[in-house]
Amino acid sequence: MTTLDFISVRKTFGPTVALEGLDLNVRQGELISLLGPSGCGKTTALRIAAGFEFADSGAVHVANADISRTPAHKRNMGMVFQSYSLFPNLTVTDNIDFGLRTRRMSKTDRQRRVGEMLELVELTAFARRYPHQLSGGQQQRVALARALAVQPRVLLLDEPLSALDAKVRTTLRDEIRRIQTEVGITTLFVTHDQEEALAISDRICVMSQGRLEQLGTPTEVYRTPTTAFVARFVGSMNELSGTLSGPGEVSVLDVRLGAPHATGATGAAVTLLVRPEDLTLAETGLVGSVANVTFQGASTLVGVRLDVLDRLVSVDVGQGAADHLTVGDRVHVAVNAANAVCETVSQ
Amino acid sequence: MSAYKPRFGRVVPTIVLVISGLFFLAPLLTLARFALQNVPTILLGWSTLFDKWSISGLTKAFDDPAFWPALKLSLELAGGTVLLTLGLLLPTAIWVHMRIPKARALIEFLTVLPYMIPAIALVAGIVVVKPHARWFLDSDYALIPFYVVLALPFTYRSIDAGLRAIDLTTLVDASRSLGAGWIETLGRVIVPNLRAAIVSASFLTAAVVMGEYTIANTLLKETLPRFQRTFTGREPQAGYGLNLLALLVTVLLFAILSLVTKKRERSLISRLSRKPT
Ligand SMILES: Nc1ncnc2c1ncn2[C@@H]1O[C@H](COP(=O)(O)OP(=O)(O)OP(=O)(O)O)[C@@H](O)[C@H]1O
Ligand SMILES: [Mg+2]
Repeated sequence: MTTLDFISVRKTFGPTVALEGLDLNVRQGELISLLGPSGCGKTTALRIAAGFEFADSGAVHVANADISRTPAHKRNMGMVFQSYSLFPNLTVTDNIDFGLRTRRMSKTDRQRRVGEMLELVELTAFARRYPHQLSGGQQQRVALARALAVQPRVLLLDEPLSALDAKVRTTLRDEIRRIQTEVGITTLFVTHDQEEALAISDRICVMSQGRLEQLGTPTEVYRTPTTAFVARFVGSMNELSGTLSGPGEVSVLDVRLGAPHATGATGAAVTLLVRPEDLTLAETGLVGSVANVTFQGASTLVGVRLDVLDRLVSVDVGQGAADHLTVGDRVHVAVNAANAVCETVSQ
Repeated sequence: MSAYKPRFGRVVPTIVLVISGLFFLAPLLTLARFALQNVPTILLGWSTLFDKWSISGLTKAFDDPAFWPALKLSLELAGGTVLLTLGLLLPTAIWVHMRIPKARALIEFLTVLPYMIPAIALVAGIVVVKPHARWFLDSDYALIPFYVVLALPFTYRSIDAGLRAIDLTTLVDASRSLGAGWIETLGRVIVPNLRAAIVSASFLTAAVVMGEYTIANTLLKETLPRFQRTFTGREPQAGYGLNLLALLVTVLLFAILSLVTKKRERSLISRLSRKPT
């Protein structure tokens, strides 16, 4: 059982608090994404797990054993970095072989293992090339093979796709997920790209300012965000201002919406955060005019400027539903607030 | 006008090149004539340009009994200085790059100090402590620490530039995450990727050692530069011959240096152009 646990890990750099008591439990074979804006402490968490930094307080456990004081080279963790980290003086083969040599394995074992790894990342034909003769995506695949070659207990990836272009990013993302499931390795994956996190993870750990905001499956984090920060950060959100008109009920203008997550004193000013797919064009609802229509392939986003709130909301309509719409058309927007996050506006 | 300009653009650099070439070559040529022509100095004019050339002036120093020990000592000092410099400088420079990158400018300034403070200041210091440090200064190898300091402006910059050219932190982290300790990381990752910088730092150090006179003279060590000085006093022609030889050897060494450091790049390029399948 190789689990990875952060227990109240706190880390500061001078006056900067990078991690403010992080608690996180990665289960055996699970892939958890650390998702959050720049500077929220994702890399710091990963580097503490890897042993490149040491926590001010708290502990890191692997398989329930405290490794907080173990030096990096004795932790047996595979790591893939954001920037290209292959050894420039070594070929692909020798890069993958690096960790195996360190472990003093026999030559035949090493050759076999390198061969397996090259096959796993589908780069057998590139075995004798040098890093600078590979594309960015290929380099990151070699880096993954190199990290996995030594059969690490935990795999750590720090934004491994951020330097690649969009197309390569999605293919490699899926490949990383395939390999991770195939190997069954406990994995921590850092990203600031919510789409990437939603696509690849078993669970997502949304972070903000060194704290854990929400930990949950991609569906949970997307459909039922527990804080306004998570709601805004993951996916896109429409913001509607209104007042709390009763328990679980918010009035936006004269439209009353059932919002089960709304709490607070009646009469308080609130902001409702609603996904584009929870808005529909209907016969009744908030009145506005079409400001733009964005074709997105499978669906279409219709931007509607609401008359009274003077706010632009985007409505996700199904395929073909927006064909008859042109900019300036008068429409009604109906709101399904069942999953809406309600944020009290401080006066 | 327009036809004139490009020609002007080619002519001026050529003229500059020729003039600066003459500027460097003329003294060398006169040195060569003085050292290698068995003609009295006052008769060295155009008419005697091709008279009585002989390489005996170059090799005469070899027959002097003091030459070989001096050469041996200087080579030993050069080797020792290179080793001590690399042993001290590599870990320090790596540590500065990884742990306190902000201090790089300050460290660079400190390492340039020996270049700005004349060697004579160091000598003055030696004279003061000399009576109290006989046990140390009596050894011929006592020169090594001084030479490490003297070479610092060149060696540190060379290593520093090498470190800047690679993503040191990431490479070290990658190596350590693969199970390599610090020593192994140094030997298998850092040094191979700093090869060019290390080679040039070593050559520069050796060049400083092979040319230093002031401190060696103060401490009365029979190094090659000191031998050269006394030998030239005794035998001017052969002395300058020796100088010329030293110059040629240095040029040769630097030519080899640039070949060695460029060879890898070239082999990489040729491998690239062969287009692997
Ligand atoms: N070595 C360091 N010295 C000083 N401050 C640091 C250091 N490393 C990180 N920090 C600070 O700690 C905070 C968290 O940094 P961290 O690199 O973990 O963020 P991140 O979430 O990975 O951001 P990004 O998405 O930009 O990579 C930041 O404010 C950063 O400036
Ligand atoms: Mg980061």
